[in-house]
Amino acid sequence: MKDQRVTRIEDLPGPKSQGELEEMKMPYEEYCRKVFAPGQEKTKPESLKGIRWLSTTMYIFTPHSVANLAELGAECIKVEMPRMGDPMRHTSPFNECYLYPLHDSRPMTGTGLGFTNANPNEYYISMDYHVPEMKEAFYRLVKLSDGLTECYRPGTFDRWKQSYRYLQELNPRFIYVWGGGFGYGPKVFGGSYDILGQAHAGLASVTGFHEDFGGHCTKHSNWCIDWYSGTQITVAILAALYWRRKTGLGTMIEFSQVQAATRCLGYTVPLYGRFGIVRQRWGNWDTQLCVHGIILCGKSDYPDEPNPQLKYEARYAVVSAFNDPDFKELCAIIGRNDLWDQYKTLQQRVRPQAQIAIYKALEEWAADKTRSQVVKTLTDAGLLAMPVMNDKEVYECEHFRQRGTIRWLDDPVFGDVLIQSGYSCGLMSKTPRRVNWIWRPVGADNVKIYHEMLGYPMSKIEEWYEKNLI
Amino acid sequence: MAKKVREVEINSREDTLTLMGPDVRPWPVTPPPSPEEVAAVYARRKAEEFGKWCEDNLRIEYAKGKPEALQGVRVLSCGLWRMGHKFAAGLLGELGAEVINVEPPEGDPLRKLTPFGREEYMLEDKNGDKCGLDFIHELRNAYSVTLNLETEKGRELYTKLAQHADILIEEYPPGYMDQLGIGYRQLSQINPRLIYCWIGEHGQWGPMKDKVSKYGQWMLDPFGQAACSFIHNTGFPEDLLPRGKGGDPTRSGVWFADYVAGEQTAVNALAALFWRDEFSGEGQFIETTAAEALMDILDFDITWYGFNKSIKARTGGWDPNLNQYAWNPCKDGYMMIGGQTDRLWYRIGMCIERELPIFGRLIHEDPLLKEMAARNALQALTKTYTMTTMWLRNINRVEAEEKLMQYEIAAGPLLYIDEVAEFPHFKYRPWVNVLEDEEYGTLMYAESTNAYQMRTPARVKWLGRPLGKDNAEIFMKYIGLGQTELRELKEQGVV
Repeated sequence: MKDQRVTRIEDLPGPKSQGELEEMKMPYEEYCRKVFAPGQEKTKPESLKGIRWLSTTMYIFTPHSVANLAELGAECIKVEMPRMGDPMRHTSPFNECYLYPLHDSRPMTGTGLGFTNANPNEYYISMDYHVPEMKEAFYRLVKLSDGLTECYRPGTFDRWKQSYRYLQELNPRFIYVWGGGFGYGPKVFGGSYDILGQAHAGLASVTGFHEDFGGHCTKHSNWCIDWYSGTQITVAILAALYWRRKTGLGTMIEFSQVQAATRCLGYTVPLYGRFGIVRQRWGNWDTQLCVHGIILCGKSDYPDEPNPQLKYEARYAVVSAFNDPDFKELCAIIGRNDLWDQYKTLQQRVRPQAQIAIYKALEEWAADKTRSQVVKTLTDAGLLAMPVMNDKEVYECEHFRQRGTIRWLDDPVFGDVLIQSGYSCGLMSKTPRRVNWIWRPVGADNVKIYHEMLGYPMSKIEEWYEKNLI
Repeated sequence: MAKKVREVEINSREDTLTLMGPDVRPWPVTPPPSPEEVAAVYARRKAEEFGKWCEDNLRIEYAKGKPEALQGVRVLSCGLWRMGHKFAAGLLGELGAEVINVEPPEGDPLRKLTPFGREEYMLEDKNGDKCGLDFIHELRNAYSVTLNLETEKGRELYTKLAQHADILIEEYPPGYMDQLGIGYRQLSQINPRLIYCWIGEHGQWGPMKDKVSKYGQWMLDPFGQAACSFIHNTGFPEDLLPRGKGGDPTRSGVWFADYVAGEQTAVNALAALFWRDEFSGEGQFIETTAAEALMDILDFDITWYGFNKSIKARTGGWDPNLNQYAWNPCKDGYMMIGGQTDRLWYRIGMCIERELPIFGRLIHEDPLLKEMAARNALQALTKTYTMTTMWLRNINRVEAEEKLMQYEIAAGPLLYIDEVAEFPHFKYRPWVNVLEDEEYGTLMYAESTNAYQMRTPARVKWLGRPLGKDNAEIFMKYIGLGQTELRELKEQGVV
């Protein structure tokens, strides 16, 4: 017990040692670099140490809810169908890139890059749940775990006697997540994908160029809504863990991805509700700010590169000057002071006709310039602008390299892989996220889990393997 | 049938606005499906019992009678313009955390933003102050206090508030708070349990860190979207649409990168909270940026570059990894159809073949389309989608959906917000919901995604907040400022 009458230096606010005093005096950037210390992740503890999570998931959306946990240090076990594995393993851009093998019985079939980043750091086991013989092993796993994320059609796990109705009896602390498209309700059995969420939820209707400009509803590239929704599940899981610390009780979370895409629509929903106005697309400009958009520049930064992505596409720049003095300066730079005279307030500038006139003037000014020239001219004048970067430029960008967000990983199975995930979803000074491996072949950890953790004899595991149950 | 005829004179768009309010045109226009109709849906797949169990345990109608997961967690949130800190704090607030949003006395500039500068789309609170809808929709369950951090007194009060906080989410330019003496370095000395989160576009350190223009203008989304190759990858290629008319790299219609950074901040903060309470008792410093958080979710794109120097190109509504997985035009808009594994892929084909027999011959019997992975080659995509569109172009979205749902295929129409609000499943849950706000009247909003839980569902209690509405309560509760002192501070321009 501390003697209350004694004042100790460590109880007073302020630096407590020479080292801390120096830390207080460091330039801020240097301080950030020191506390986040990219590359030193493994010398620091994991936030979610001791949490064990099961992932009976496929594709991107539900796996990502577990990937976040795995990066934060939880022990995660991914369960896949024997031999086949997650369908995402059979997915690769234009069928181009695979890492081998998929499974020890299928050495000539590889895992496609589509599987990347969705299930890092996890242990991979295989199990065919349909079969009653495997039920006991599944229940043992549940008893030894904190929670599970699944993505099967509603009622499927219930039919197999492994829905929350059954599992809460086995383990009252168990946190059960169902993630899918719709959940209870009239379209309960509707399947879903990222792109369905974008289409159904209204996100696509506000993305892309307006019909009057010749545009169509546009898909967010990648499977953005899958990943984005998965992260919101992780928020729910962590909140449930927080509550469980107090009460000792688990819960069931039902999460619908289609809804998550509506959640990020901002003013779209209240604008319709109050005024009946249906928001439309506004291309590369902003509905609430001007100038704050993307312009096409006339010349390429890479005129001699054979790759069309460099030769023709590296021509776009973000230009942002929506505050009055910024806009005034911008007009002076492009030699169009008349635009400033005409549109002196944001309210005037942001009107559709004004935006059309202003961006047209900007693109005319940029017609004989490269993207880099445009960005340099504007940033030298103290305004905000940047190139629209492509994968090559992102990879080569010194900023991300120094921050450790993009780095090469010497994967224990697949060797050198470039990764952009895990380290890039937030720097944490004391319990940073980390990537240990990108993925492992189907069933790679069957022995580790079934034998070492659950205590099944090796002969049993061989028998299951022969019968195609694992 | 209208009961009585009203006298209205319409000279401009503005005169119609009062005719569209929720009192005149209540939502939903047509009632949602009844529980009996939905029970019949469950029965069709022999899941009556399970369906009933779900409805009894997960329905949002019961949410308000259940406890809140993050009760007792106090979150301080401050930032201007952007969505990141609002979304992060909103997610925590929906789950029961107490959120205090700190703004300068003149308010967050986002309060002033409205689409195309139309003030008539802003809502008035009881004091007659107008607020934009983006701000109202994204600031959820948050108390509003004002503090001028440029003054010494303001910083002192801010520090005292931070002593009471578990999580602080800050979104100011890099080093701004530190320079004022109220950044992580200083606050962590006073409150070592504080979890301090900074959100930005590119970062607060590093060669490409966030900048402010020489006149003080901030970087906002899409600077985050542009810095991670998302914009470069999104949109239609020039082969499909002319450049300048949609065939360009395209930004998201919303400030998407900010949302992604916001939710990852919430994850990191909650993980840090778990570590603090379970193991160490210590807070920490967290930094999340829009560019990097969005880069995290760009599939394998950078990995692909590392594999063979591929620079991902735009592919419009198609996906180079999956077949079928696209929306294609039909008679009255676009119809999305997805199904990649053999089981689903052939089911889509069976549905289409019923009306377009040639589809079976050209697609199902093509040896190059037999293997799942091989179907992702460009010519395979072109062929499949051409044939699918041959079927779609003659039917409407509703018909297509009905037909595809018979085969239990993941398919759905591309909807605009008015259609979203009336889509049966959206109405039934409901995913767009209305609440009667004390200040702003009846508001329609996108429901919390975590509101469907058995024990601790999230909930939206109020939206937006008049500027400084909770000054008196919060400053009394956590700092002990009485009315007289508060009045003095107001005169000095501190609150």
